[in-house]
Amino acid sequence: MDREAEFRELYEAHRDAVHAYFVGRTGDRWLAADLMQEVFMRVWQRLPAVAGRSADGQRAWIFTVARNLAVDTYRRERTRAGAEAALGHERADAPPPASAPVIAAERVAVVGEAIRQLPEEQRVAVTMAAAGGLTSAQIAAALDVPAGTVRYRLSLARRTLSAALAAYDQPAGTAEER
Amino acid sequence: MSLDDALAAWAATVRLPDAAADGIYQRIVMTPAPGGKQYGGLGRTWWRDFSADFAARMITSTRRVPWAA
Repeated sequence: MDREAEFRELYEAHRDAVHAYFVGRTGDRWLAADLMQEVFMRVWQRLPAVAGRSADGQRAWIFTVARNLAVDTYRRERTRAGAEAALGHERADAPPPASAPVIAAERVAVVGEAIRQLPEEQRVAVTMAAAGGLTSAQIAAALDVPAGTVRYRLSLARRTLSAALAAYDQPAGTAEER
Repeated sequence: MSLDDALAAWAATVRLPDAAADGIYQRIVMTPAPGGKQYGGLGRTWWRDFSADFAARMITSTRRVPWAA
């Protein structure tokens, strides 16, 4: 297999997961795309070191790079965040499709907002599962934490998201009547 | 709509579109790979290597050889 074909295989296998990880960390899919590009650029430059590994080994290598990059970016962004907050800058994700029924779109928005407000560790786990398509074991290997920890984070996140949907479904004023 | 359905729909709004992912892929593979010899052309350091080797041979060739002294 030539170099580019080898890289293509790696890229297709891991790009969604890496992108989902950065969406979980940053909350911004386009910033996540930039970071994902940087990770795969490093994969491209170090391909012989990565391609010879097992699928799990490749994932571990790639996510070690991703985690380090996230830490570096976080340090840089911390200073910029203050300025953006002062300017009222708001990162916007793509809105739900206009053709979707309003009620369904609103529920998606409720879930999106609830995910945004989750603690970062839960947000990363739930994003990697939902958008990256990873199992809890794969997330655990990628983040280098025990699988039980990931399952616990996912469970807490799902509980919070279910509560947010339940609150949305509750007719207005019901809470006050109790 | 269940929580899983809502999560799947939300995931679709944050996932990278295929066109954008393909664009990133193309930008990466356009970048020269380290040790360009894999492409069969000249490596990126060929001129430096050639010059160094040439200079070394020139210096060696101008040294007096013991048997000719």
